[in-house]
Amino acid sequence: MLEIRSARKVFYAGQADEKVALDNLDLTLQTGEFGVVIGSNGAGKSTMLNAISGALPLDSGQILINGDDVTNTPVHTRATRIARVFQDPMLGTAASMTVAENMLLAELRSTKRTLARGLNAKRLADYKERLSALGLGLENRLETKVELLSGGQRQSLSLIMAVGGSPDLLLLDEHTAALDPRTADLVMQATVRAVDNLKLTTLMVTHNMQHAVDYGHRVIMLDAGRVKLEIGGAEKANVTVAKLVEHFAVKTDAMMLGA
Amino acid sequence: MEFLSSTFTSYMALVPVTLSQSLILAFVVMGIMIPFRTLHFPDLTSEGAYPLGGCVCGVLIAAGVNPALAIVAALLCGFLAGCCTALIHLRFRIHTLLAGILMMTMLYSINLRIMGKSNLSIFGSDSVYNWAPFVTPGFPASKIIIAGIIGAGVFLALNWFFKTEKGTALRAVGSNPAMAEAQGISVWVSTIVGVGLASAFSATSGALMVQSQGFADVNMGLGILINGLAALMIGEAVVGKQSVFRQLLAPFVGAIIYYQLVSLCLAAGMPPPDLKLATGLFVLAMLALPSLKRGRGAGGTPAREKFRE
Ligand SMILES: Nc1ncnc2c1ncn2[C@@H]1O[C@H](COP(=O)(O)OP(=O)(O)OP(=O)(O)O)[C@@H](O)[C@H]1O
Ligand SMILES: [Mg+2]
Repeated sequence: MLEIRSARKVFYAGQADEKVALDNLDLTLQTGEFGVVIGSNGAGKSTMLNAISGALPLDSGQILINGDDVTNTPVHTRATRIARVFQDPMLGTAASMTVAENMLLAELRSTKRTLARGLNAKRLADYKERLSALGLGLENRLETKVELLSGGQRQSLSLIMAVGGSPDLLLLDEHTAALDPRTADLVMQATVRAVDNLKLTTLMVTHNMQHAVDYGHRVIMLDAGRVKLEIGGAEKANVTVAKLVEHFAVKTDAMMLGA
Repeated sequence: MEFLSSTFTSYMALVPVTLSQSLILAFVVMGIMIPFRTLHFPDLTSEGAYPLGGCVCGVLIAAGVNPALAIVAALLCGFLAGCCTALIHLRFRIHTLLAGILMMTMLYSINLRIMGKSNLSIFGSDSVYNWAPFVTPGFPASKIIIAGIIGAGVFLALNWFFKTEKGTALRAVGSNPAMAEAQGISVWVSTIVGVGLASAFSATSGALMVQSQGFADVNMGLGILINGLAALMIGEAVVGKQSVFRQLLAPFVGAIIYYQLVSLCLAAGMPPPDLKLATGLFVLAMLALPSLKRGRGAGGTPAREKFRE
């Protein structure tokens, strides 16, 4: 379970260009729940994910994972419970290392690293099997350096790396945005399969309203650093793209009126 | 013809001595390779860590300490120096190169303090080279054997370490720090240990050199970094750097070839003072090669911070 309690993050505090990115944001995600986060550019979605992962320290507020307060723990400590796929395929993998080595790094995310040999036969066989589920042929390229893979292949690898070891929380920040439609679909299918099979507690940011309609248990709309709207349960099942887009439109009007 | 044959004879006479030197200096090259290549932490500490190792070892040997122990002490001091450079960079967000220059400058005073004077002779004292099997102590062969054994040990140990779970994590920090952190690896710990390890090698090299030449000098590190870089580039050009094995082999191969080339130039009559200029131009040429191939104008003026290594 993920709990965010009145999280606040202000950039350039006290300066002319002060920017409140998170404005006392509250959000709870039940164990096994798949939340889809939407909202316009600059709404604070990435900031929220960075705060959860520890990449950005909060000004105030708390982050709890399965009841444990992790607000003041560094990224690498939180990583034992949180897995993440970034929007930029370059960010989520170590380019100069091989596919197998990247898989190894992910596998060791939540365990203590030892002085034992990293890539043994058992692990390689396991990686082969897990990668073959993607159907991209990555299972035959374990010794290939990741920098030689396409963006889509890298992102698919990042996903397999992230869902391995069933993290307590999976964070996806527009992880299909940089991919061509066909590959984006492939990665999305793989995501949904893994999240369903492993019952992963997941927070996925997307600008694709169809994805927000099709996937997840709850849609969470952020606006100016707060949760503006939550649609769950039966309402979520019946929501349409048009309906979601409407909320963006209302906001724009409101902004124009307000300004 | 006369020139060629005289050059050749004087070069050949120097081959064993040069080989022993290059095997000793291969550790500095290793100490340069690890931060530059594995950690992507361009670091100049070696220029201070090398004489640090030399001074520590010299003083201890002059005090009658066991020469192997003196090397271990030098290694530990080098490790600490490297840790300091990494900490300066991490804690104060100072550029790695500047952090290294700061450390190197401060080490100069520290080295002087350690020795109490700028030059210390330990000629005739016991050295690890006296323990070489089968050969008469004092000859280049003994140095080649001892430095070769230690070098082989270091190579095998690193080749093993970088494939362990911890070693893979360390390489990940160099490859993509943000990713490494997201995979639960402490970038701080890895960087400090990695840069420390590299400086430990540089200091070891200094200690071995002092025992080989029979004296320690605070200025012994002058230009060692550029020499090491030149050696590294030659090594990488010859054996490549596609795998951990090749990348680790490059410092040794590079050091051997580089110092033989230097010896050849000197035998051919090149004045020693010109050596640094020649090496500098060589490193410059190696660095410039990729951009020369791409042609001028492409990409415009590079952003100030975006230079490579
Ligand atoms: N590191 C930073 N420094 C300064 N301001 C920042 C930083 N990161 C984000 N911001 C500001 O905080 C606000 C929220 O940004 P954030 O990246 O969270 O938005 P987002 O919802 O992810 O938008 P997008 O849909 O474009 O990805 C923006 O106004 C942005 O300019
Ligand atoms: Mg964003």
